[in-house]
Amino acid sequence: MYIVQQLINGICQGSIYALMAIGYAMIYGIVGLVTFTYGEIIMMGSFSAFYYFIVFGDNLVISLIFGFFAAGLVGVFVHKICYQRFLNAPRHISLICTIGMSMFLKNLAIIVFGSTMKGLPIFFEGKTLVLFERTTEGFRQQLSLTYLQLMVIITVVVLSLALSLFLNQTRVGMRLRAVSQDRKAAALVGVNVKNTTLLGNSIGCGLGGVAGILLGLYYNSVIPTMGGMAGMKAFSSVVIGGLSNITGAALGGVSIGIIENLGIAFIPNGSGYRDVFAFLFLIIALLIKPEGLFVRKGRI
Amino acid sequence: MRERIKLFFAEHKKMIYIGLGILFAVAPLIVGRTVNKSNYVIDIMVRILFYVIFATSLNTINGYSGQFNIGHAGFMLIGSYTGAILATKLGMGGAWYWAVIPIAGIFTAIVGLLVSLPTLKLKGIYLAIVTLGFSEIVRIVALNWTAVTNGALGVKNIPKLWLFGLKKTSSPMVMYYIAFFFVILCLYCTYKVINSRIGRAWMSIREDATASMSLGVEARKYKAINFMYGAFWAGIGGALMAVYYRFISSDMFVTDEGFNVLAMVIVGGQGTLIGPILGAIIVNAITEVFRFASEYRLVVYGLLIIVMMWIRPQGLAGASNSILAGKGIRKKKKASKTGRGEVLS
Repeated sequence: MYIVQQLINGICQGSIYALMAIGYAMIYGIVGLVTFTYGEIIMMGSFSAFYYFIVFGDNLVISLIFGFFAAGLVGVFVHKICYQRFLNAPRHISLICTIGMSMFLKNLAIIVFGSTMKGLPIFFEGKTLVLFERTTEGFRQQLSLTYLQLMVIITVVVLSLALSLFLNQTRVGMRLRAVSQDRKAAALVGVNVKNTTLLGNSIGCGLGGVAGILLGLYYNSVIPTMGGMAGMKAFSSVVIGGLSNITGAALGGVSIGIIENLGIAFIPNGSGYRDVFAFLFLIIALLIKPEGLFVRKGRI
Repeated sequence: MRERIKLFFAEHKKMIYIGLGILFAVAPLIVGRTVNKSNYVIDIMVRILFYVIFATSLNTINGYSGQFNIGHAGFMLIGSYTGAILATKLGMGGAWYWAVIPIAGIFTAIVGLLVSLPTLKLKGIYLAIVTLGFSEIVRIVALNWTAVTNGALGVKNIPKLWLFGLKKTSSPMVMYYIAFFFVILCLYCTYKVINSRIGRAWMSIREDATASMSLGVEARKYKAINFMYGAFWAGIGGALMAVYYRFISSDMFVTDEGFNVLAMVIVGGQGTLIGPILGAIIVNAITEVFRFASEYRLVVYGLLIIVMMWIRPQGLAGASNSILAGKGIRKKKKASKTGRGEVLS
């Protein structure tokens, strides 16, 4: 029973990772460069929600939209400084540039927002939904899902479906896919590659910002240093799923969430080692299938 | 004028290196005589020397063989914890510590080999994420494995180093010369290795892996050696750091520390011997200059890395024709435009 409960928690946490990973895969697919600033964008998203709640009151849906656009704006800033100049240069130059940008944003956030942990308002009054209940030998066991967890999962699913519709059904989405497949060919058929890249990057960052808000709500706190680990988890999920493969990235995120929570459940005193499980899983996955666990053969 | 300066440097290379060495050797004596609170200044200089070792070791991995290791803090942690645990738990402090330092180096090199094993198949960004994951795994294990590493409290009271009966071996002045000895050793070894067959193999892998393999360079073997060599010196630097500060804890080796060393290598110039030294001096100097505004220090630091990438991606001492400078691709484009560049070259 305990294991199943941990599985549910894992799926919920994994869906936040999945949303981050989707954003990351989007950025990698469109821009073609690896970024280390993503964690800081997640952090910026969650802080934008924190200030939104203070100024405008507790409105969840609008705060998510607000976080999306705030993180997207930061994404534009990062794009102008770290990617645009280096699109044709060796990859490590822009990579190092994003490391510098990550340091810059994180420490600026510590100065501006303060280094202490801040609480977010509690939604749904902490209510839970009891899925299953059983009494054996006087012990009451139950499987439960908090309303917050339900909200997180629903948000992630809705956003993923919306993104999939957007990419597959609209003209802008088609342009984005064209650029991610072949920049030169896309330019030849009349796509404005420069603007499309900027747009794709901003959408990816916006999704990261929403994921940051969900993460902040899930742990009920935001702190400027939260980005590092979140960014690494997103990156790991994308690598496990196969770079620039959006579905794979989402599956990678969910599997990392499940593995973390199951690891804690199976190993005594394992809660300190939470992040170790994720990275060990990453290394093992890379050993078995370096091109990504969820990539079909012959299609990269 | 620029050409003449370059020519001067090229002609008197050896003299310049020896001169720099002498300058470094007498620097603490001069500082000790002239500056108030000289221990504080010499302490910073000792730290610079440690970072020279770390940056040089990272430079052999990132700069010379073109692999991308961003989790160097993990190797530093293993080196210093090995030294600290051997000295405190097994009583190998004092004179024994001279044996512990190479042991820490060798142990870290073995770990380096283990890390390089899964990464031999992987390139570029996959390698980067594995090293980053490794660095985090090692740090979290050190934080939680209380029985051996003393957990979050860190290892305290590491015994002083024995040096011919000298009493103040953990004073900055004495430690400066011990660290200086290791820096010279490290730079000399690296210089020799770089100019041997092994070093040439590393550089050929960096410039063009396929071409070097077609010429008979066993890329896997040399990459593994490369990781072991870099990890070895990181371990030695870590062991020295443990005995100087006499206290270590896992939060001294967070991933930002790895990025810190990486920044030194990049600012100084990857793939050059002098680059990491320059980088360590400049970055530590900036850290000290901005100490009055300690909050803004890391902001400036981040900006410095970005500006460096914008104006001089190969670093201060880097050659502008290296593949690290980002010129390789543009050159190829020019060649294909004229249509015969590739054939001629």
